Amino acid sequence: MELTKKQAATQSQKLMVFVLTMALYGLATLFTELIPKFQVGIVEFSVEYFFFIPLTLAMLFDPLSAALGAATGELVFSEIMLGQFGGLGELEKFITVTIGVYIAGRMVRNPSNRAMVGVAAITGTGLQMLMGTVVDILKVQFAVEDFEAVAGLPESVFATEGFAFLNDLLFSGILFCLLPTLFLVPKLYGKIEPLLGMRPRDEKSDLGRISPKILFACAAAFIAAIAAELLATSGMPLIDWEAEWAESGTAVALGIAAAAAAAVAVIAVIKVKYGKEKVPQK
Amino acid sequence: METKTKQKLSESILDKFSIDFLRSQVLKNAYGNDDTVIARLDPRILLMWYLFIGLVPWFVSNLWFLMACFLLVLVTTKLARVAGLVLLLFAVGVFSQTGYLFLVSLLFGGDTSTIIPLLILTLKVATCSLASITVFSGLDPDRLSNGLMWYGCPERLSFSISYAYRVLPMLMEEFQNILLSFRMRGNPPAHETFRGKVRYLFYQVQVVMHAFYPLMLNTAKRSRTTVEALEIKGYRYAAVNKTVKKMKLATLKVTYNDLLFTAVSVLWIALAILASTLF
Repeated sequence: MELTKKQAATQSQKLMVFVLTMALYGLATLFTELIPKFQVGIVEFSVEYFFFIPLTLAMLFDPLSAALGAATGELVFSEIMLGQFGGLGELEKFITVTIGVYIAGRMVRNPSNRAMVGVAAITGTGLQMLMGTVVDILKVQFAVEDFEAVAGLPESVFATEGFAFLNDLLFSGILFCLLPTLFLVPKLYGKIEPLLGMRPRDEKSDLGRISPKILFACAAAFIAAIAAELLATSGMPLIDWEAEWAESGTAVALGIAAAAAAAVAVIAVIKVKYGKEKVPQK
Repeated sequence: METKTKQKLSESILDKFSIDFLRSQVLKNAYGNDDTVIARLDPRILLMWYLFIGLVPWFVSNLWFLMACFLLVLVTTKLARVAGLVLLLFAVGVFSQTGYLFLVSLLFGGDTSTIIPLLILTLKVATCSLASITVFSGLDPDRLSNGLMWYGCPERLSFSISYAYRVLPMLMEEFQNILLSFRMRGNPPAHETFRGKVRYLFYQVQVVMHAFYPLMLNTAKRSRTTVEALEIKGYRYAAVNKTVKKMKLATLKVTYNDLLFTAVSVLWIALAILASTLF
């Protein structure tokens, strides 16, 4: 009865998939973080050497848990643990990774079908890279105000970004995403699922086709990612700090400084007193 | 003689950059500095502080203000006693973002007038990253996740942070063992010639990829154990229960140290603003 339900995994199994993907992909991205990135201006030749790990797991298990696990793993292991957390800008990576992995995982209905696994792997990778490219291009367009006015700038940005995208897709996409996924999925299929107490995924336990609703949700998430990234990189003065200072800045700043100095003095006195009272008690 | 020292030097560098070194650095970063001034501060205050220092410099381009912010985070990073590897990564990151621009502009006949705009950009980047280094590697992972939870971050995230710090050393060790066993049984191609070197590189990449197969199976087993242990403790119900959350966060306490830290930061920033309006 339980197995004929459409929802193939229970809550705790989903948590297992989440933990598994997070730990593995996190470990892998920690290594990638230590390999220097090639950056030419604003174009980044970022190679996701280990993107095959979440792809493989999303094809074998619940795609959404695997996708969220991969994105969280990258965030926690390589950004927060190494102190490289970039604030709002990290949201873009989080969302694009989630969408790419999720779509790839949903595309595969039967993991023993090699052709489909290959198509899904390259689609997921391509999708993730394409979204990154779009964000990069938009970033330049918004950052440079007279984008059209600077001669040759639009063409050069499109050319370099397009080249980076193709290079990433053909080089790292095939070498580091397609081939390892094609190798690992059939090998792990039927072996790794019992370790989590699950049945291998097949046509029956399928979650159904990708519906327009999912695509819509992905598009909405992508727009949110673009917004976050633009907000994070643009130096747009959202809050007009400087104008405020120019008018009555000195007096206000002096006031704040005086208040803060008073606060420092008061707290220091209290702390010293408090410390003295505490010492005899011991 | 010279070749010998050279060999020794390269060996010692290679030695340093092994998985063991990485593991010790990550561990040191996570747990090695919980006796510093920064680590003892309240995580909520520190996160608030980060929100200000990490965000505001992006919107300001006054050199005095940026310089003051940079000095402030420089001091806090020193106080947090961050591991060397992290600082190295920071330096490489800042250079790759802005430093090389200066070199390029010098190469194309630029003069010192390019320094000021580049300095502003560099200061912005450096301030934000140093602030995040202070907060995220200066704090104990458990305190950090508690602080995030207090601000209403999903329980999943704070669980992930605590779990990641604990499981990472084990995972690294396991990965290294698998790689070593592959190396013991494997037969690498000769790599004297250039073609051999290319083949050797491909062989290495292949070994790393293959090593993930046993690692995936082992980690699957481990994550099942973890989740089952969590279930026994009622994790999924506790994660959404308000009383549990309250009990968990009861250890957070704002002390005079926190207030002093905040006040000194505000004073410093206010002085910077004062300076930027005067000059």
